[in-house]
Amino acid sequence: MRNVSKFAALLTGAVALLSFPLWSPNPYITSAGVVVLSYAVLSTSWNFVGGFTGYMSLGHAAWFGLGAYGTGLLIARAGVPSFLALGLAGVIVALLAVPIGIAALRVRGASFVIVSIALVLVLLLVFQSWRSFTGGSDGLVVPRPFPDLLRPEHHVVFFYLFAVLLAVALLAWWTIDRSRFGLGLKAIREDEDKAQSLGVPTFAYKLVAFVVSATFTALGGGLYALWFGDLDPIFQFSILIGSYMVLMALLGGVRHLFGPLLGALLVGIAIEYFKMSYGDTQFHLVATGLLLAVVVLFMPDGVIPAVAGLLQRFRPQQSSIREVTAADLLEQNRSETKVEARR
Amino acid sequence: MSEQGLTTVELTKTFGGVCAVDHASVAFHHGRINAVIGPNGSGKTTFFNCVTGMIRPDSGTVAYRGRDVTGRAPHRIAAAGIGRSFQLCRIFPRMTVRENVLAAVRPRGLAGLLRSAHDPAQVERARGWLRRVGIDHLEDVEARDLSYGQQKLLELAGVLMADPETIMLDEPAGGVNPALIDRIAALVRELNGEGRTFIVVEHNMELVMSLSDHVVVFDRGRPIAEGPPDSVRSDPAVLEAYLGV
Repeated sequence: MRNVSKFAALLTGAVALLSFPLWSPNPYITSAGVVVLSYAVLSTSWNFVGGFTGYMSLGHAAWFGLGAYGTGLLIARAGVPSFLALGLAGVIVALLAVPIGIAALRVRGASFVIVSIALVLVLLLVFQSWRSFTGGSDGLVVPRPFPDLLRPEHHVVFFYLFAVLLAVALLAWWTIDRSRFGLGLKAIREDEDKAQSLGVPTFAYKLVAFVVSATFTALGGGLYALWFGDLDPIFQFSILIGSYMVLMALLGGVRHLFGPLLGALLVGIAIEYFKMSYGDTQFHLVATGLLLAVVVLFMPDGVIPAVAGLLQRFRPQQSSIREVTAADLLEQNRSETKVEARR
Repeated sequence: MSEQGLTTVELTKTFGGVCAVDHASVAFHHGRINAVIGPNGSGKTTFFNCVTGMIRPDSGTVAYRGRDVTGRAPHRIAAAGIGRSFQLCRIFPRMTVRENVLAAVRPRGLAGLLRSAHDPAQVERARGWLRRVGIDHLEDVEARDLSYGQQKLLELAGVLMADPETIMLDEPAGGVNPALIDRIAALVRELNGEGRTFIVVEHNMELVMSLSDHVVVFDRGRPIAEGPPDSVRSDPAVLEAYLGV
């Protein structure tokens, strides 16, 4: 029964999301939808590291930027076909993520956060200064993959391309979540030393999660490059994009498959709305900051657990339905008092 | 006793100017219940950490069953067959009791890594250990909601799930009530009877004397006496370390 309603909810959500281009009132809104969906891809990708291992990377824009520039440069400088360039950029970033991960994952907690920020700042400087190759602050124009398409159709096509990438990322996250590998990663999140003493090869596990996360983020960046067609280091390698990924995942709930997606829908729509309302001012940043504060204060585990907890209150309690023997009840009471005492 | 278990030779670890473990050479009796005792700060836990790879020793060697395992990463020590619990008990608080135990399963190959963590055979095995320590009725409870004593039992079940031949327990009786201490002691005896070696750090002298076959006394980072419980109890060096006479 619960599975059926879960599946129904999933199907409704998917249909509502995928039909968006059909009921979107104008191309501008459709393009905002593409942005929101790209956020969903990025924060879901971030969650391979942040959600499973608890390593909070604030510098995931590094992978977003590398994926975008990798794709853009391969097309603009080497004449590689668009989608081959996207795939190649993914491979290149995966290879780069190995040595970077080996270095960055040696430190934990706040130190890891600082290292991740340093990474994105270094890349920002490199891509700004290496003008002859990257185009620097003048930007890099990425040729369109579908030159014949009109702009509104272009948005629709990319909406579905992002949807496909999101589906693949979600499937990968789900596969890991239920696997032994995933349980090992979660053990790292809970207590890394303890996990290692139980036999989990923690470093290798973290590195694999890191590389997978970087690769999906890079693919998101590459797709963004193909869609947007114009890259600027200050935007691609921004701390802000990295913080958005974290904020969205935290808001939705990092322990849940759909947490980052839900967070991206809420925050992404809010950001796009704030941008539209406050135009050129930076007020949308203030609004986003306030949102983050509210989440941390009232829903430390994100929206999904908060809502689920609320729903749980309205469900019939277990003991009122199930028939229990006296012995069962005694045992249950005994364990409950112990649990209560602990609290 | 001819079989060689865990041995250390001249194991040394210094923190700043403090020599926490000082040229400690110990040969534990394989197949028996060994106890490590000593005053607070005598280096017992640092010694444990050096042996299990949590800390890299400055010098000296650790060998297990004739193989040198010095400075190996903790997961490789675990793979060699040494399990351990932690002082003050460490569990995975935001995972269920069942998941806590399943986390000790060692997957083989890519297929093993991607197989469901809740594979029926492993779940059954996990349930077996939970039943053995007496908390199988709490399988679906989040570990952080257990009482301290239950968490200690859970930690033990997790260690056992990895199926170690040698189990190192850091203060198994610390902070738990007398009834539970008896239960843990009985379990240790049982598991020892099934062929598992124990190395136990403990302050509860009554427990040490009744449980162990072999006692090693640490003071200032090195073993100062060892032998059967009775002889250690009357050793003048031990009395001096404990009472300062």
